[in-house]
Amino acid sequence: MPRKSGATPPSTRFRRTDADGGLRTCIVLVVLSLVMFTASVREGDAGGVFTTMRGAWMTITTPIRWAGGAVTAPFQGLGNIFVNLTTDQERLSDLKAENERLVARNAELEESEQTARRLESLLGLQSLYNLQSTGARIISGSTDSWSSTVTIDKGSAAGVAVGMPVTDSNGAIGQVVKCGSASATVRLITDENSSVSAMIQSSRAQGVLRGSVDGSLRLTLVRTDQMVEVGDTVVTSGLGGVFPKGLPLGTVLSVERTSGSLYYEIEVEPLSSTESFEEVLVITSLTEDQKATAEDVAEADKQDTTAMTATSDGGAQGEGESQGDGEDASAEDDEQMDVEG
Amino acid sequence: MQVKDTNRNRRDFGVLACICLVLQVAVAPNIALGNGRANLGLVFAGIASLLVGGRLGVLCGFLAGFVFDLSTTGPIGLMSFLLTIASFVLGIEARNRMADDFAGSMRLFSWMTLGVSLFYHVAMLLVGDATSLIDVVFMRTVPTAILTIIAFTPFAYVISHETGSALSLGGKPSKSARSHGSRYDIGNL
Repeated sequence: MPRKSGATPPSTRFRRTDADGGLRTCIVLVVLSLVMFTASVREGDAGGVFTTMRGAWMTITTPIRWAGGAVTAPFQGLGNIFVNLTTDQERLSDLKAENERLVARNAELEESEQTARRLESLLGLQSLYNLQSTGARIISGSTDSWSSTVTIDKGSAAGVAVGMPVTDSNGAIGQVVKCGSASATVRLITDENSSVSAMIQSSRAQGVLRGSVDGSLRLTLVRTDQMVEVGDTVVTSGLGGVFPKGLPLGTVLSVERTSGSLYYEIEVEPLSSTESFEEVLVITSLTEDQKATAEDVAEADKQDTTAMTATSDGGAQGEGESQGDGEDASAEDDEQMDVEG
Repeated sequence: MQVKDTNRNRRDFGVLACICLVLQVAVAPNIALGNGRANLGLVFAGIASLLVGGRLGVLCGFLAGFVFDLSTTGPIGLMSFLLTIASFVLGIEARNRMADDFAGSMRLFSWMTLGVSLFYHVAMLLVGDATSLIDVVFMRTVPTAILTIIAFTPFAYVISHETGSALSLGGKPSKSARSHGSRYDIGNL
């Protein structure tokens, strides 16, 4: 209820308890503050009541801090203007040098991170396919312009031998064609002389994946009565006995069916870019379940008896995976010609 | 015309305390000028002292300082000590000054802010949390004072332009206050 004050002080209630202007309260609180200050300084980093209180306070206010940080994030750079204006040249030079050092370090760390990821993927592939393998690193590319090969830093001393398949984290990339004691040359699947027994993963249509001069891959000897679609994954069939069954090779880029032809013309996009793989796995041996079974061979025979006869009778290097010398690939061509002819 | 509306004034102070607390915890750490950051505890203590003063002002100053101390990594009790004294000094003759004299209250608060910031940072220097006096004065004290005064200004402006009440920060004006338009009811706590 309003009442006139006239010359009277604002509040009798307030004045009754505040006659000294808060002096006594002030003294009590000052003493309390000093006690807290002393105790807090003595407590230091050892932990105690104040540390606990502060921790609890920080915990309670964390959501507010988080929200505040999100709201004020766009404006935080404004405060740096004052610092930048008052910074001397020496400080700026130091910061530039520091920045350059950190940029270089950052690039180095990013490279390490990518290496770690590749290795992690390789380990994943090794684990997924239960590969008996040894790790290697690509140390150089092809030394000539007419073959697609890379050199790895493992040789016969590490158990690598000619004919062993090589994979990266995406799938098969080639086969060892030359082997020294400390290094080996790997012919890539994109090489013109490379051919690998392969199949369409979804329809199980069998064929032979061949490289070409322009670096593209072509899946040959796939009969036109089989199902092949753009985007299908091409995997190793294991029929040659060199590559383990089911390793990814690429995806179907285009499928053409020529009138009167028994086979599709299929272009395949390799899963790995030959420039990008640096760490690889050399598959040193195959387990029984990684090899093509008798049923697989029978299925291949059923699909194209004429074209795959050489495969079914165990001529591994001779038909499907003949990256070594190219002679077998030529023989395969001859067979294909026979069929088409 | 005097109005006694204790509950409303308490509520208004509660709203003010909450606003300052949220700003102190959420916003102040993220807006820096040099190494300085706004001290919303000081703003709250300043408003309480300039509006009410006396025992309540001192108590508000102590609590604001204590909350500030909890929010920082410095020793607990230092800002409580400084704000308790500052609130007492500011509140001796400054009751409801914000409503009467905006410029004067800004001047008083600015001196209070500068003094408290200087003492606080010098004390931090003495306890070993800072190393350079120049850094303490120019990179911490002055920016802190500037930001705190900037933070105080809108509060002072709003409060000084309130006609129905000396402090209205969310609560509906009381019927009695609206009727009589007193600016002096804050003293009736």
